Amino acid sequence: MNVLRPWMVAVLLVATACSGGPSSTPDQAPGATPEPAAQENPETPDLTKQELATDSESVTLVPSPVETQRALERAGIETQLSALISDRKLDVANVNPDNAAVRTGVVVADMLLTVKTSSKGQLLSQLDQVEAGMKQLDGGKDIQATLGDIKDRVQGDAVTRDELLKELDEISQAVIPELDFNGRDRIVPLIQAGSWLEGANLLAKAVEKADKPSAADGLLKQPAVVDYFLRYVKTEGQAKAPEAVTKKLESSLETLKGIASKDGSLTTEDIDTVSKTTDDVLALL
Amino acid sequence: MPKWIAIAGVLGLLASTTAHANEDQAETCVRAKVWDGYGQGWAIRTMTTASLTSGATKNYMVTLYAGNEYQIQACGDSNVRNLDLLLYDTDGRIVARDDSKSREPIFTFKPKKTTTFYVVVYGQQLVDASEPAGVGVAVSYR
Repeated sequence: MNVLRPWMVAVLLVATACSGGPSSTPDQAPGATPEPAAQENPETPDLTKQELATDSESVTLVPSPVETQRALERAGIETQLSALISDRKLDVANVNPDNAAVRTGVVVADMLLTVKTSSKGQLLSQLDQVEAGMKQLDGGKDIQATLGDIKDRVQGDAVTRDELLKELDEISQAVIPELDFNGRDRIVPLIQAGSWLEGANLLAKAVEKADKPSAADGLLKQPAVVDYFLRYVKTEGQAKAPEAVTKKLESSLETLKGIASKDGSLTTEDIDTVSKTTDDVLALL
Repeated sequence: MPKWIAIAGVLGLLASTTAHANEDQAETCVRAKVWDGYGQGWAIRTMTTASLTSGATKNYMVTLYAGNEYQIQACGDSNVRNLDLLLYDTDGRIVARDDSKSREPIFTFKPKKTTTFYVVVYGQQLVDASEPAGVGVAVSYR
């Protein structure tokens, strides 16, 4: 064997050290393969605050719409976000990739929030939109096949809504964030931005409706999430032609960042600003 | 389970195209745990795979909501002897961790306020330290 691996060196060193005295390790049968010596590492990794900030993946950062609904309920607001969703049909196919990504994110959020209560027709329409969005964004044939399979089962009443929620959860939170989209790094964050903006908009409306602005402290103060979206919208968007939605998205995110980073509790005016700001972006879609 | 085949196919393809260690094995393990969790009211927040060398970490930023409970779990492939999971706050302090010597660590956490944390998966001890290991990580909530 030409390769001398570290564990082999370790085994040799242990064998040499123990050769003059009684062995402290169990006897091995002749010819038995020795178990490789595992490298000893500290109990706790040596990570600084700076390393954590610079060497962490952000694709896991954004809460899901259903997770937002649960947090809202825990904050004492019973309003169902699904009841606040406006009736709209977004064109995800005949727009540029930035628009398609944000729009697809909005549809994904609406679909997740309504999957347990929507009619078959509504659900199939949402699935059609997500499928068209994935096609427009070059998500790949596997995600198309997955969505096609789900549509077939919904059409044939071959899946329960509880089961479907799990499947759509996984597509939203585990499958789409891992897709390559032909190497375009900004697509996943923009899809997430669409879902998050829709969630923030509905959440602000729910808090307004319940007249509990202080409850929003634990729900809307997510400056790291807003920063993550801004990083993609600002930095990589500059190379593209000016685009109304991208510009509006950037200015809205700046406004939301200011509110999310605010010291002290959010006021009724803050919640109103979140509601109006996100309304403005979503109205452009 | 024909209804999951299509999704599993997508995930399997994703894992296989990026696999350096046995990420497929780790992904299958952590995915099964996530699905089992739905029976106890957990829902998926994120699930991903990676390769890890001995003593290295893979770090993930997560925003966690106050009021929700989070379950953070991981699976290592057969080259992992002890995989550790830690949760750091943005000041670099450990706020939760698993204490096991397992390659399938798990712990739960309830944040007091909505804020950002770092989930750190740490290859504390690999069977063969000269080879990377495949790890799968998932965060669920309820």
